Amino acid sequence: MLFVRPGRLADLDALQQMALAAQPVLHSLPPDRHALEARVALSEDSFRADADFPGEEFYLFVLEDSASGQLLGTASIVAAAGYSEPFYVFRNDALIHASRELHVNRKIHALTMSHELTGKSRLAGFYIEPGLRGDAAAHLLSRARMMYIAANRKRFTSEIFSLLLGVTDDAGVSPFWEAVGRKFFGRNFADIEVQSGGRSNTFIAEVMPSYPIYVPLLPEAAQRVLGEPNEKALLAYEIHLDEGFETDRYVDIFDAGPVLTAQVERIASVRRNETRIVQTTGELLEDAAAQGASSETGSGGATYMVASNGERGEFRCVLAALPRQFAPLDAATRAALGVRDGDTVRCVELHPESGHPSSEDAS
Amino acid sequence: MIVVRVVQTGDVDALVALAEETGPGLTSFKPDRAALAARIARACRTLEDRAAPHEQGYFFVMEDTQSGDIAGVCGIETAVGLDQPFYNYRVSTVVHASQQLGIWTLMRALNISHDLTGYAEVCSLFLSPRYRTSGVGGLLSRSRFMFIAQFRERFPQRICAEMRGHFDDDGTSPFWRAVGSHFYQIDFNAADYLSSHGRKSFLAELMPRYPVYVELLPQQAQECVGLTHADTLPARKMLETEGLRYENHVDIFDAGPVLECHIADLRTVRESVVVPLEIGAPHDASHSGPQDGPRSLVSNTSLTDFRCGVAAGTVEHGVFRLSADEAAALRVKAGEPVRVLTLKHKQGTS
Repeated sequence: MLFVRPGRLADLDALQQMALAAQPVLHSLPPDRHALEARVALSEDSFRADADFPGEEFYLFVLEDSASGQLLGTASIVAAAGYSEPFYVFRNDALIHASRELHVNRKIHALTMSHELTGKSRLAGFYIEPGLRGDAAAHLLSRARMMYIAANRKRFTSEIFSLLLGVTDDAGVSPFWEAVGRKFFGRNFADIEVQSGGRSNTFIAEVMPSYPIYVPLLPEAAQRVLGEPNEKALLAYEIHLDEGFETDRYVDIFDAGPVLTAQVERIASVRRNETRIVQTTGELLEDAAAQGASSETGSGGATYMVASNGERGEFRCVLAALPRQFAPLDAATRAALGVRDGDTVRCVELHPESGHPSSEDAS
Repeated sequence: MIVVRVVQTGDVDALVALAEETGPGLTSFKPDRAALAARIARACRTLEDRAAPHEQGYFFVMEDTQSGDIAGVCGIETAVGLDQPFYNYRVSTVVHASQQLGIWTLMRALNISHDLTGYAEVCSLFLSPRYRTSGVGGLLSRSRFMFIAQFRERFPQRICAEMRGHFDDDGTSPFWRAVGSHFYQIDFNAADYLSSHGRKSFLAELMPRYPVYVELLPQQAQECVGLTHADTLPARKMLETEGLRYENHVDIFDAGPVLECHIADLRTVRESVVVPLEIGAPHDASHSGPQDGPRSLVSNTSLTDFRCGVAAGTVEHGVFRLSADEAAALRVKAGEPVRVLTLKHKQGTS
């Protein structure tokens, strides 16, 4: 069974393997062992810390196969992006250029360097073994972070964001970088990407454009990739959209990749989050019988993300088939979650059908 | 004699006929009788000191005094941008450098500016193709500087001239394609027409409000910034001889350069002199033919009947000589003052 838990220093070898395999480099998952060790140590402290508001904390999660003990992926949350230095994005503004006399009216987009996302919580460092079959594991790993946020609201800002890889051609060249970044840096995207410290380095202020950039004046190829995710990031993009993240307000300053934003209280994992009491599967039969014909779903089965938020930062998240009510869990799932009969867990249906709006939707 | 003189009310028919010789492109001189009559009226009011500062403008015609043929026009605006804004791009320099990365990048940015507000402007020069081989283009252009030199107090401190920008062989501007077309959404000629006919409000509504980085534009458009149309190069050279320079202002539509300078620095203002007139043969006619010897721009000193022409000879012994015919054509008599600028050899009149 696959489950998500906080990363530990004992995971360092496996994490370094993933960091080395990640292309391009993930800033929150540095391949350098000392840097990585520092990140993991910070994460351990962060999970244990009694944080009342977002600060320098960094939360690193891993996806583990309980059968083999093998790590298959990692994902993280930066409590406050650009905590000590500004975090740069391009804000995508629409300017109306209209003249009544000439009967013209046009929306012209302009990209402005912005610090608006500085200090907001950021989803980052997503890596999953490419060999894993199906999307379920990716959903679990990515959205487990939202489950953690749902259970620990005060550790994060009310608006969160995520920056995904932008489009590159077959040779790995970003058309947007060629049209914009290269003109300012005179270097390759990869060179600068490695040094940029995750969009928070001083040199960004020194080198990147201080005036807005008019989108219609850019070459077609650069305009086309604006806010478009890289093929490799497509699944992550869809997972974010499923959660209710919004596109179009910001794009990455280097490759124009999508920067997705969401109000925490409006994302699916928070909005549909319900607390249930754990039962052993033995009781399920009686409960199902007790529900009788009132059960709307007939068989009552659907895949849920189920998370437990234990003492001292012990967080677990799994996928489990649950009925519409209660949380009957088998022994393996209870073990993976570290819960016992009578404990509470948070549950969110993974792919709610459109016919089943949550009560909040209905209100 | 070919003379440049201030325009008169009776010139309107000749000007309409002359304007019919212009092709598309010279938007400020079209065969529009009402517009031309208004322009003449404005020039007359200016000469009579009945024009408000924002509408003051002078208008000159080139006339063959023997035939009465009107062969060219040119103008001076006293102070641009006092009624509707006078827009240009200022080409500024932006350096992006990082010691950490060892990067130093120089970029140019186009900033909408009103920097030239209040400048005088030399403009509206048109010479009939019938006269282009006769070497009178320089006279037409420079007569304006003679006028300014003579009536220095009627002009501000600085002067400018807008040069036509580069156009492709198909008649389109690469700069307009890359920039203007996205903002103004009408074609170049329509935009140029509206702008030159005082209907500039669309500019404020539609133009780019933020600076535009030149280096992010297509290569062809980048090259247009400050580039003069091939046909306008002789005019530019003449103005540069006069002392005007490109100082990083360009047109907002075709990115053609604006030349500018202090009026006090104009060559004609610095070097022309006022001396009494003598009637007679040129001083040096004895030792070389008038064709090879020095020539001078010479004008009378009348405001309302200003006339300027080219004559052989130069100032000697504190006087300048004209033949009786030339003096009559320039409406000056012996003993009256004339303004004289000796032309450098092979320069100025062609």
